[in-house]
Amino acid sequence: MKKIIALLTVVSLTASMLMGCAKSAENKGGSTDATETETEATGEIKEFTAFFAVPGSEINDDNEIQQMIAEKTGVKVKETWLAGQTADEAVGTIIAGGEYPDFINGGDGMQALYDAGALVAWDEYIEKYPNIKEFYSDADWEEFRQEDGHIYWMNPFDQVYGESKTTTHSGEAFWIQVRVLEWAKYPKIESLDEYFDLLRDYAAANPTMADGTENIPYTILCDDWRYFCLENPPLFLAGNPNDGSVIVNPETLKVEDYNTTDVAKRYFEKLNIEYKAGLVDPTSFTQTYDEYIAKLSTGRVLGMVDQWWNFAYTVNDVFKQQGLDNQGCNYVPLGITIDKGMENQWYTPGAQLNPSSGIAVTTSCEDPDAAFKFINDVLSQEIHDLRFWGVEGVDYAVDEDGMYYRTEDMRMTVADTSYKASHLSTYSYFPLWYGTSRDGKNAMQPAEQPVEFLDSLNDNVVKCFEAYGVTTYPDMIGSVDKAGVWYPMWSYSNTLTTDTPGGVAWTKMGEIKHEWLPQVVMADDFDKKWSEYMDVYSTAKPEDFLAEMQTELDRRISK
Amino acid sequence: MSEQTKEAVSDLEQSVSVSKNSKKVHQVEDRIFMVCNGIFMFLFVLITLYPVLNTLAISFNDGIDGVRGGIYLFPRKWTFENYITVIRKQNLMQGAYITVLRTVIGTLTSLFANALLAYIISRKRFLFKAQLSFFWVITMYVNGGLIPIFLLYKGLGLTNSFWVYVIPGMVSAFNVLVIRTFMLGLPDSLEESAQLDGAGYMTIFVKIISPLCKPVYATIALFVAVYQWNSWFDAMLYNRMNAQFTTLQYELMKLLASVTNQSSSVDSMKNAAGAVTPVSIRAAATIVTILPIVCLYPFLQRYFVTGLTIGGVKE
Amino acid sequence: MDSKYNIKEIKRQYVLLIWSAIFVVYGFVFYYLPLGGWIMAFQNYKPKTGLLHSKFIGLDKFKFLFEDDTFIRVVRNTLAMGVLNLVTSFVMAIVFAILLNEVRNKFFKKPIQTISYLPHFLSMIIVTGILHDALSANGIVNEILVNLNFIARPIDFFAHKEFFWPIVAFTNLWKETGWNAIIYLAAISAIDPTLYEAASIDGAGRWQKIKHITLPGIKATIIILLLMNVGNVLNAGFEIQYLLGNGLVKGVADTIDIYVLKWGVSQSDFSLGTAAGMFKSVVSITLIVIANVIARRTSEERLY
Repeated sequence: MKKIIALLTVVSLTASMLMGCAKSAENKGGSTDATETETEATGEIKEFTAFFAVPGSEINDDNEIQQMIAEKTGVKVKETWLAGQTADEAVGTIIAGGEYPDFINGGDGMQALYDAGALVAWDEYIEKYPNIKEFYSDADWEEFRQEDGHIYWMNPFDQVYGESKTTTHSGEAFWIQVRVLEWAKYPKIESLDEYFDLLRDYAAANPTMADGTENIPYTILCDDWRYFCLENPPLFLAGNPNDGSVIVNPETLKVEDYNTTDVAKRYFEKLNIEYKAGLVDPTSFTQTYDEYIAKLSTGRVLGMVDQWWNFAYTVNDVFKQQGLDNQGCNYVPLGITIDKGMENQWYTPGAQLNPSSGIAVTTSCEDPDAAFKFINDVLSQEIHDLRFWGVEGVDYAVDEDGMYYRTEDMRMTVADTSYKASHLSTYSYFPLWYGTSRDGKNAMQPAEQPVEFLDSLNDNVVKCFEAYGVTTYPDMIGSVDKAGVWYPMWSYSNTLTTDTPGGVAWTKMGEIKHEWLPQVVMADDFDKKWSEYMDVYSTAKPEDFLAEMQTELDRRISK
Repeated sequence: MSEQTKEAVSDLEQSVSVSKNSKKVHQVEDRIFMVCNGIFMFLFVLITLYPVLNTLAISFNDGIDGVRGGIYLFPRKWTFENYITVIRKQNLMQGAYITVLRTVIGTLTSLFANALLAYIISRKRFLFKAQLSFFWVITMYVNGGLIPIFLLYKGLGLTNSFWVYVIPGMVSAFNVLVIRTFMLGLPDSLEESAQLDGAGYMTIFVKIISPLCKPVYATIALFVAVYQWNSWFDAMLYNRMNAQFTTLQYELMKLLASVTNQSSSVDSMKNAAGAVTPVSIRAAATIVTILPIVCLYPFLQRYFVTGLTIGGVKE
Repeated sequence: MDSKYNIKEIKRQYVLLIWSAIFVVYGFVFYYLPLGGWIMAFQNYKPKTGLLHSKFIGLDKFKFLFEDDTFIRVVRNTLAMGVLNLVTSFVMAIVFAILLNEVRNKFFKKPIQTISYLPHFLSMIIVTGILHDALSANGIVNEILVNLNFIARPIDFFAHKEFFWPIVAFTNLWKETGWNAIIYLAAISAIDPTLYEAASIDGAGRWQKIKHITLPGIKATIIILLLMNVGNVLNAGFEIQYLLGNGLVKGVADTIDIYVLKWGVSQSDFSLGTAAGMFKSVVSITLIVIANVIARRTSEERLY
């Protein structure tokens, strides 16, 4: 017993000393911390805190480029990210606690922050700082204006400076392996039927891979929130752009439900037929995301519906490592529609304004002017290049034409997790540009630099592009750009909550679709199952949802 | 010999021979049992060991290669990269330090508090046994909710400090009841004879009851230690902005989130040999977390000793 | 007849009374005070207006829950899985503890025990990942079943509702049996070994020893744990069901916690979550009160 008491005493004393040190460090405070960083002649470096209610990568406190940026701008921001909670929960606890970081992006919880009065109005700062002002057009800035007439945040993404340099299609498409196209001598595939016919023919002629494992003609991912692979296509197959949750009829300007259209029924009927024919992977409906990615990375899957960011980065890396890219396993997108001869809008170029969330400055910030100045500074070309390209000579080089490029070594180093944490500082959720650099030649983002893109393509993909006369992924899809001013509607449906009948309906619709769509595809009697599904679907009161979306649509058009 | 003695002897002989016969039967039964038990244990160990070995294998396997699946007991493409990435996570050491600190302090304080309360409600003559027990039993099934609790801790000044890890969880009804059950199993005569000798309640607690409770103390200590060791949610909720109070698991969580984030964005692996994925990092992080606990257990195991000498009191 | 609550007795046990007062204060502050937050269940809680100013809406949230067929369904699921888990985990943990205790060979006993509780430390993500893979159409279970000719074609276990609850129970057993057995092993180690010696002399065999010494020796522990876990039957979970569920088995897989996540937390509807939590608490307390009454009548053990 004595020993225990002694141990307790020692430990508590140590802890108290620790506490003492900690408290005094805390008291030294957030804004100025002269001891940690080198003080330049210009003065001390301000330290701000930032929280982003999205998953992200933490960088080290002594990150090199962050330090360089701090010396040039006088500000360093400690970023923390979402982990193990939903955005709403995290924001809810922060609001309840009343202590806000200097910068915040509440994700889905943005509105709650505004309601709580936690945010600083931007208006005067937009006028004061040119880089901020030029980020959005005046009309776009209006989208961010809240009910009380002020602007409280800006979305950091999707703004293109100058000429667009987009080379990848980061959205949704019917993907197909280049070897399938090559085998069929690069035919023009435009309709759903043509797509499946091609898969069927190829699979019949080539039932296995080189090593004997069976090819899987088509698979579907429907794990949890990623089930857009199953439920989304009717929207696109009818030739509509990605409004996400509804179809907007451009002539009548009315909102339509893509779940109940003829196109939807035809699409699912097609899936049902192909499922019974053995073309569709029977484990589609029970596979987890990890299993799906594993399947894709074996190179056996000939085609699927998915979004680029969901599979491509991981799968392409495996392909390269295993040499499967040389077997033509890379995927290219096809912009197919339900019938031949329709225009498709799978790909929408340019900015997609999402005013529902973004980065904001909170009322806890002691020096909002410095905060906004920092946002202004990180948009300057010099800092922007430091953020995304890195340090010249170390992370990238410049050739005689002034074009930036990376050597293979640089590419590998830049991809290393620990290197990123210790050296690279992208401030990834602070406003950033896509498109062309202000120097008129280079890309704002390394991934869009033409030479980087071209080098990363496997020869088989290049061959495929050449056969179709295109140079980029979006070109393969051949989308017509006709997005209306209201686009994209998903930026509104994402903010729906069960407060409104529309939100309740939206959630119920999702639940029902999750449960019924797999059954519909697997059904023995498709018509019967489909009408059962439609009956259950109508109990979710989709009309409430559509009504609410219609109100929003009208509002957006009338602006 | 007298008749009585003869009878006694023959009775004894009979019971010995009965014993011997039943012993023989029992020996056969025993053998069968031992074999069956052996097989059962073998299978059981196989099934429970497999996931751990699998995780170990994945942790030593190249992440990108691991995406393809098919790793079972041995790595296919050996690498240390996962562990290196884990070790090089900044603040990991700080997290480890805080975690060790909270595990030690938390376990000791919690054990003491839980044991004391258990002791109190196990005393036969304690006037409010039933009421106090009921009071604490209810706490196991009610929960005010995340936000009210947050507000409470904030009001008490526990947020943004180390003590939020130790003070709120100190007494837990479940642990108390387990210890109480054990204490109730000890003979009353212990307490009584000590009181006759003039010992007060606290002395009895410290000097008589506690030494006999080693198995249950070791058990509860293990439970609390493991809870403290694995905690990260409280670090995130209450010390989000205070890096100096981070825990080991929280740092690992953040690392995992970083890697997950990277694998679905452009700044990704780009074919680096020895690249990491969420799965491979998770595996390495798991092994790093398990190791110290596995080392802790043998230390506690000696308290699970059969047959404590009750000493001095015969029923 | 003197009541036991007399001054003399109070003076005698003043140490106990003082300490218990401290524990009451502690318990009140940390466990009962936050229950003030239950008012959220009767409000339309918004972070902006907080606990004190959010609009009062009475039983609306509860109405929402009980009128929702889905909620009724998830309560059923949770209860079913809870009871199944309770029964299986109890039996397995006790059986394992007893069998392990019967392992004479010290050299094996410790490693077996250490290995047995290792899965407890693996995250559910890892365990369910392995299980999902093993039960998939080309996983090892199907391979064995097909090779032994038990079935003609592989079964996709996760596509059929009837397998889900047993799979959940199995996952729970796999992960927690070793850990759950620790308490019982500790209790067994407290049994007086002379009882076993005496039994041997009387000619008792292994089974009789188990039946007459071991089991009664840990009876108190078993009953108390059973009582406590009866109250937890609605906490049957979230992680396993979330990770193993899919659209096809949704009807049997979704639990109260998953429902709350979908309808409460992700809509920032904290009020709904609180209402569901209150419902769970009420049910739990009712269950343990009933269980405790039964325990008091049939045995010497009781929770309070």
